[in-house]
Amino acid sequence: MSAVSHDPPQRRPSALAGWRPYLRAGLVRFVMTTLAGLILAAIVHIVTVLAIPALSRHDAAHAYRELGNDGHAEPVPWPGNARGLPVLREADPNVVTAICNYDLSAGPMRIAARTGSLPLGLTLHRRGGGVLYAITDRAAIRGTLEFLVMTEAQRDERIAADEEGETSRELRIVSDTEQGLIVARVLQRLPSDRADAEALATGVACGLAN
Amino acid sequence: MRILDLAYILALGAGLGLGSAHWAVAGRSAIGRVEVGAWTAWPRSGSREVDPYMRAYLARGVHLPLGSGEGLELIAERDDAGQALDGRCRYRLSGATPTTRGWTIGITDGDGLPFRLPLERTSFTDSEIVRPEDGGLAIIASSTPEAGNWLPLPSSGRFQIRLRLYDTPISSQTGETRASNLPRIMRVDCR
Repeated sequence: MSAVSHDPPQRRPSALAGWRPYLRAGLVRFVMTTLAGLILAAIVHIVTVLAIPALSRHDAAHAYRELGNDGHAEPVPWPGNARGLPVLREADPNVVTAICNYDLSAGPMRIAARTGSLPLGLTLHRRGGGVLYAITDRAAIRGTLEFLVMTEAQRDERIAADEEGETSRELRIVSDTEQGLIVARVLQRLPSDRADAEALATGVACGLAN
Repeated sequence: MRILDLAYILALGAGLGLGSAHWAVAGRSAIGRVEVGAWTAWPRSGSREVDPYMRAYLARGVHLPLGSGEGLELIAERDDAGQALDGRCRYRLSGATPTTRGWTIGITDGDGLPFRLPLERTSFTDSEIVRPEDGGLAIIASSTPEAGNWLPLPSSGRFQIRLRLYDTPISSQTGETRASNLPRIMRVDCR
């Protein structure tokens, strides 16, 4: 006779069984904290990207804040310039670029450029990024390109001061920041155009409007 | 345990959030990118409607992008067959350029800076090139001298071709421009 019993062996409780609720709770906790971390990461990502333009001290508006403050545009610095200003990145070597700073805290600014035979473009770069306005010399009237830069409040004041029933002929550009850059670019088609291009670019006048 | 959870959440949130933001604005973003043939442009980078990623990228360096009404910059990092531009190869640029008051085409490194080569010829303007009988574009880019309109390349390594169009109507409708309206970039041979 066999002494082997055919009764199923009694299953002994696993050592992990007691830990299962703890493991499940730990897993849920890990997933929840990871989810919270990912949500926080998304918020940090968005806030960082949006804050960079406002916080940056290496952008063009900060780097060139001393250029063109005396009523006319100044050329962008060359590598190794005496003032130690950073060089414009991704610049076209065939283009002469000059810059005027604008600060509308004292009132609207008047920008006037004389046009010539070389293509000239003027752009308004707000502090914090974004080109507010761009115009080329094709819009010039009798060889002059002229416009005013102002805040919305200054524009409202100017409209209120306009003569009743008369249409102003001024081109008024509203800037949503008080500071920024006016950039003049002149394309030199041939190396011999360099002097003409520089004269056109640095001939851009930028002063307080009357 | 709660402190450990909080520390984990903060570390994950700050690390991943700052790291991904840094990565996203280290270069030009894919948002707003327009590809036409081998050329890539970001037409909204010079407008009021610039997207936040491009705005952050531009703010991290001394950039003054072309205004939307002023012109358009197109960048090629690959040839028409999709192969990366390499200084060991010769390339032929041919075809047409869009209607514009003036254009320039130049060779730069990945940061948009011209290479320091023995011959100081980094770009051409539309007035400088010699045109064939059909009036089209015929430029050869290679590291060894070539007859005609020759743009010197570095002897090896990656480079970019930058086409800048000034006062052009396509700056406002770049996405609708056909590849046939832009210069073709064809690899001739490689060393």
